Amino acid sequence: MIAELVIFKGIATIMQDAVIALIPLSLFFILFQVMYLKLPMGHVINLFKGIFFTLIGMILFLQGVHIAFIPAGDAIGSFFSAIGKAWILIPFGFFLGMLATYAEPAVRILSKQVEQSSSGFIKGTLILYTLSLGVGIAVALGMARIIIGFSFLPLIIIGYVIAIILLWLSDRDFVAIAFDSGGVATGPMAVTFLMALAVGVAGGIEGRDPIVDGFGLIALIALAPILSILLLGIYFKSKKVKSS
Amino acid sequence: MLSEGRETLKEVIQAVAPIALIVLIVLAFLTGSPVSDLVNYALGVIMLTAGITLFLIGVNNGLLPMGEAIGSDLPKHGSIYLVIFVAFLFGFLATVAEPDVRVLTNMVEMVSNGAITRDPMIISIAAGVGIFVSLAMLRIVVGVPITWLFTGGYLIVILLALVTPADYLQIAYDAGGVTTGPLTVPFILALGIGLSSVLAGKSALTDGFGLIGLASIGPIIGIMLLGILL
Repeated sequence: MIAELVIFKGIATIMQDAVIALIPLSLFFILFQVMYLKLPMGHVINLFKGIFFTLIGMILFLQGVHIAFIPAGDAIGSFFSAIGKAWILIPFGFFLGMLATYAEPAVRILSKQVEQSSSGFIKGTLILYTLSLGVGIAVALGMARIIIGFSFLPLIIIGYVIAIILLWLSDRDFVAIAFDSGGVATGPMAVTFLMALAVGVAGGIEGRDPIVDGFGLIALIALAPILSILLLGIYFKSKKVKSS
Repeated sequence: MLSEGRETLKEVIQAVAPIALIVLIVLAFLTGSPVSDLVNYALGVIMLTAGITLFLIGVNNGLLPMGEAIGSDLPKHGSIYLVIFVAFLFGFLATVAEPDVRVLTNMVEMVSNGAITRDPMIISIAAGVGIFVSLAMLRIVVGVPITWLFTGGYLIVILLALVTPADYLQIAYDAGGVTTGPLTVPFILALGIGLSSVLAGKSALTDGFGLIGLASIGPIIGIMLLGILL
């Protein structure tokens, strides 16, 4: 009985939010439609059917996150810190990060894209493994930061400085792909569950500030594919030089 | 649309299932959560899976074709200012509608007990994306190499980090990650592809891409400035 009530808790606010989120884009399109596009009415109605699907999907997604992933991440994070075994979350994070990336369809598409732009020199599976490993390391680092308590700033600055250096050494075609790939690992799964997990851990460990220590994980995850692809770009460049 | 829907559902389940199952196992056997919590969790995962699926189908059949229609129509009007302005609006409005951005900002508001409010964050993130998408367009037109823009953007992000208040620092970098969500990416790419196919003589691979990477620098700067100015 109680379970039934919980799944709809706060859904009214979420519905209102989702409608407000989609109105500006829809108005923008209508304005363009009236002024320039003048697409046939039937087509426009179909497009708005799509918007309706997006709306319902957004409501279900946000509500699902609220009742499933945020409480779960919080529960797991506080459980391990309460029993004094927070370190378990470092390998657990590594494993989850790797698995999430390996399972993500967007990552497969990216791997294929890189394979093509290296004209087959670099195999798709190599890219997939590199990316999964990269994200796993990023999540483990993010967890280690919260648990051991070292600060975020040096970590992220070093990350970006390495990115800038690799940028100038890497193959040109790989550079654009690398920076666009930052998004592939920060899909809805990473954002929702891993963030809640991090906030839960930070809230459970004595002396950690959930705002300062709980956030920052997504940033590290976003950096991982960029560094991985840039490294592959350097590897590709050296292979190309050798073979020619 | 039905077969497309089935394909999308399959992909979403593929991405969600492994983590969802492991978390369920940990909840059931390690943390000893009560059964009602597990039921709620399972229902939530089903809602979330259905939600992402419907969302993606909707984006593919609504927002994405809208973006493409506008993107390919724009250059006909010949004004570079119009292109830049619409690029800004595209980035801004898509970010306002991005679910990942909402999850992050809701979470920040919740964890900070309302000390950092949601709407100013959403607006800063959206403005950041908008400005950088316009810059990316300008780059394609003017022909500035992408490496220069990234180096410049990253240097700003590193320098601003040194003066950003501690509470905002982590959130700012996270904001860069959430803008690359399931709505913004296809929508902005649709604009970019529409435009660069019209702007003759530009290579699609090295000029059309890089948009998303640039779009994720904007929100970092946006939230940092919000923190510095508040």
